[in-house]
Amino acid sequence: MNEYENPWFHGLKWAYLLLVVLTLMAPVLYVMYISFNANGFGANEYVFTLEWYGLIFSDELLIGALRWTLMLAIVVTLVAVPMALLAAKYYKAADNKLFPVFLLLAPLFVPPDILGSALLVSFKNLNAVFIWIGDGLGTSMFDSWFRLSFLTATIGLIIYTIPYSFVVILITMGRYRKEQTEAARACGASGWRAFWDIEFPQIRAGVFSASAFTVILVFNEYTRTSLLKGGFDTFTTVLISQMLNTGMSPQSYAMSAMISFVAIAAIGGIIILTLIRAEALARIARGKAEPVMS
Amino acid sequence: MTFQTPPAVEVRNLAKHYGDFVALKNVNVTIAAGEYFVLLGPSGGGKTTLLRTIGGFQKPTSGDVFLHGKSVGHLPPDKRPTTMVFQAYALFPHMNVTQNVGYGLKVAGLPKAQIADKVAHALDQVGLTKFAQRKPHELSGGQQQRVQLARAIVLDRDILLLDEPLAALDAQLRKDMCLELKHLQEKVGITFIHVTHNQEEAMTVADRIALIANGDLVEVGRARDIYRAPEKSFTASFVGENNVLKGKVSDANGVSVTVDVAGAKLQVAKRDLPVSTGQNVTLSIRSECVALETVNDSNAPTDGLSMLGAYDESVYLGLTTSHLVRLPDGTEMVSRIIADADDTLPVNGAPVRLRWKPTDIRLHVE
Amino acid sequence: MVSSPTNVTNGVRPVGSMQTPLHERLALWAFRAPLIFMVLFFAIPMAMTVVFSVFERTMFWMEPGFTLTAYENFFFSARLGNFLNSMKYSLISVAICFVIGFPISVFVRKSIPQVAQHRVVLLFILPFMVSEIIRVFALRPVLQRNGLMNTALTNMGIIDEPITALLYTHTSVVIGEVMSFLPFIIFSGFLAMEAVPKFIFEVCDDLGVGPWRRFKDVILPLAAPGIFAGSVFIFVNGLGVALLPNILGGAGAVNAGLIATQAISALDFPLAMAVSAIMMATLMTLLWIGHKLFDLTKILTPLS
Repeated sequence: MNEYENPWFHGLKWAYLLLVVLTLMAPVLYVMYISFNANGFGANEYVFTLEWYGLIFSDELLIGALRWTLMLAIVVTLVAVPMALLAAKYYKAADNKLFPVFLLLAPLFVPPDILGSALLVSFKNLNAVFIWIGDGLGTSMFDSWFRLSFLTATIGLIIYTIPYSFVVILITMGRYRKEQTEAARACGASGWRAFWDIEFPQIRAGVFSASAFTVILVFNEYTRTSLLKGGFDTFTTVLISQMLNTGMSPQSYAMSAMISFVAIAAIGGIIILTLIRAEALARIARGKAEPVMS
Repeated sequence: MTFQTPPAVEVRNLAKHYGDFVALKNVNVTIAAGEYFVLLGPSGGGKTTLLRTIGGFQKPTSGDVFLHGKSVGHLPPDKRPTTMVFQAYALFPHMNVTQNVGYGLKVAGLPKAQIADKVAHALDQVGLTKFAQRKPHELSGGQQQRVQLARAIVLDRDILLLDEPLAALDAQLRKDMCLELKHLQEKVGITFIHVTHNQEEAMTVADRIALIANGDLVEVGRARDIYRAPEKSFTASFVGENNVLKGKVSDANGVSVTVDVAGAKLQVAKRDLPVSTGQNVTLSIRSECVALETVNDSNAPTDGLSMLGAYDESVYLGLTTSHLVRLPDGTEMVSRIIADADDTLPVNGAPVRLRWKPTDIRLHVE
Repeated sequence: MVSSPTNVTNGVRPVGSMQTPLHERLALWAFRAPLIFMVLFFAIPMAMTVVFSVFERTMFWMEPGFTLTAYENFFFSARLGNFLNSMKYSLISVAICFVIGFPISVFVRKSIPQVAQHRVVLLFILPFMVSEIIRVFALRPVLQRNGLMNTALTNMGIIDEPITALLYTHTSVVIGEVMSFLPFIIFSGFLAMEAVPKFIFEVCDDLGVGPWRRFKDVILPLAAPGIFAGSVFIFVNGLGVALLPNILGGAGAVNAGLIATQAISALDFPLAMAVSAIMMATLMTLLWIGHKLFDLTKILTPLS
């Protein structure tokens, strides 16, 4: 903060920033608010209850959808985050950075419905081609490879989430000095060992953040999932069909609210934890010898 | 060094290209076991590239590196008998000093007790026993570099590479650490190869110095020889403060050569160099070997070991004072004299004579 | 990690060629795997939209052929008008997002201590913790005739009659777009402001440059690549996210995304592919212009 700046003006800017955050959060808070109303959405009377949260687990449609969503989230995270990590390392070492950057960030710019449609038609055609090859060879083993299924939904979601993981990991890697890897190599560690012992502990926070982010994105994604999934329902497809037909059930509000509670707690936890750790480190550093190089 | 022991390092026809940029062109150098060898040169000259190629951090474009007589060109750094100390940022920030120093031993799979012993000994050698539990960011720059040293010597490898290890330190600390490095090398007795752009640092530690510039190995020699008797004019211009004069040979018959420089005929020892009349050559004289004389009116003909010029200005440097003199052709020459500053200086533009001993001027043919 | 092939010079044997061990070559391919995956399942499908868009439509699917029917269906119908209209409103959303969001990026970079900056920016990912569909859907009760907004405005005495134009119109779609995409201009603005060193503000103060000139002459040119990327993101998503007009829009609020998904529901796959191809062409043109103007790789330079 500029020391000559009017503190009131500075405060005003902060107030504006928080107001924007609050406005963006308003729908979320509203859903939370509704989730505790015994009379559900749109009722004139508000009676606080936790009933709907209890009912989530007896709503088989919701629980079934949740199970699929969770599986998708886990598989996508397990594949996409390591891939983003590899891609980030490739990007760091690459001479020509334009190609990897373009390929890894372009999915951000392709709207969900367009990406979903393009992949849907590609998979359907690929499936037809595979069946045709199978027929030619007299085997049916290729028939189900690219039929719309868990696999196709997973591929679509990996493409959707990779850019976010890539950027998050790249940001944490920015602080890592490659001299440390070289020093580890000079100490006799193999390339893999140097990565695992030296680099990974320092970018762990980024990898975990990317994982958390990927899980949340998969949980909340509707368009790509609904276009590419097979016969199963996920959390968001259940919500949409409720919305467009009978209106969301109170359990769905409760479920949404619960997911956001968990997610906000996770992000809030990360923020607070890093804050505390940074403070603690700074205090130790201040207490001991003066650091000359970081 | 006997016939049976191959040299610690032998570099043959080594070249490294980055696209169109040539970082090293056809370098050959041999370093004996137990030697403190310094690669000295301006930044961007290729000395770090050479060191990193020896260490296995870069693959050469062509040529080969032999360590103890064995080709290691195909080996990654962790499979070579070398270890390295980096300029900075190379300590593992999430480990404390003990863990940093013990890391290589842990990788090698040594038992814990043995690691602890060796680490303690290494920390003792670099004087950091008290700091064993600190994290790198709690250490000063000099301490951090000592940790790097300990981490390297604890491995008992026989070649230690140092990449500008003192560049990030301030001048006084650098001087102290230089001597420490020298003593440490004498104590452990392994080969040190040290890259620096600082000639004082190089002179302090080196048994031998290799001068590297523009991707070429310019000259190799003992520190004293490099300073006193440089072969190449580049060496003369880079090491010490030399006056480098360009001239044309007017007489090359006999043990000494006569060279025309800015209207004066200078005598210089031929040293069996291949020179012929009319050739363009370079002469060098270290500035501290040049004496300054005021000239009255007797513009006596030169004796081949002095020149006339116009006094320009003086620069007081504490221990010495540099007197700048402009030659008739515009070239500037420097005479550096241990300062007795109260002497009255010649006025600006006054004619002066610069004089030197016959052994102090050297001829360079390139 | 990634080494370029060594070339042979002067007939001297290159050292690197001494047969790379198998695991090293495998590792080399592992680093390329993500890119190969992206080419196979992203770049190729996106490029194939052009091919599929000229296929013949059949009852439930399509078959190889060459016809421009899909493009005729797009360009000679109400769809083109809707598409151009959604471009206009998308641009309005970009402008609103920029005006609201970019000052926040500048403020965070300029006035908040370095260590806290990332955490403040992290605040803006909190809305993502809830599915976009819920956030968009929750706007309905806020914007409807007897909703939160109208009630509040009436109670404050600002309006007498409830504003009906708030929901199921282009306005509501723009509001939805701003609510959904605002964080992205803040993120990209934040990255872009990395290109504006902090001392610039001090230099400007020293030279007596006012806030407007400072913004126009210094910040804007330096931060341009990031601002451009954020704007393209919002613009293209405004065109392509079907959810927003679907839930908030009324008659005529139809964007490219909605045309595509409607075509898929109607089993008119070539039309969906034509729309995708047109969107890809739009996006590529924008990115190409941006790259020519500002070199978009600069956005990531602070990270590499």
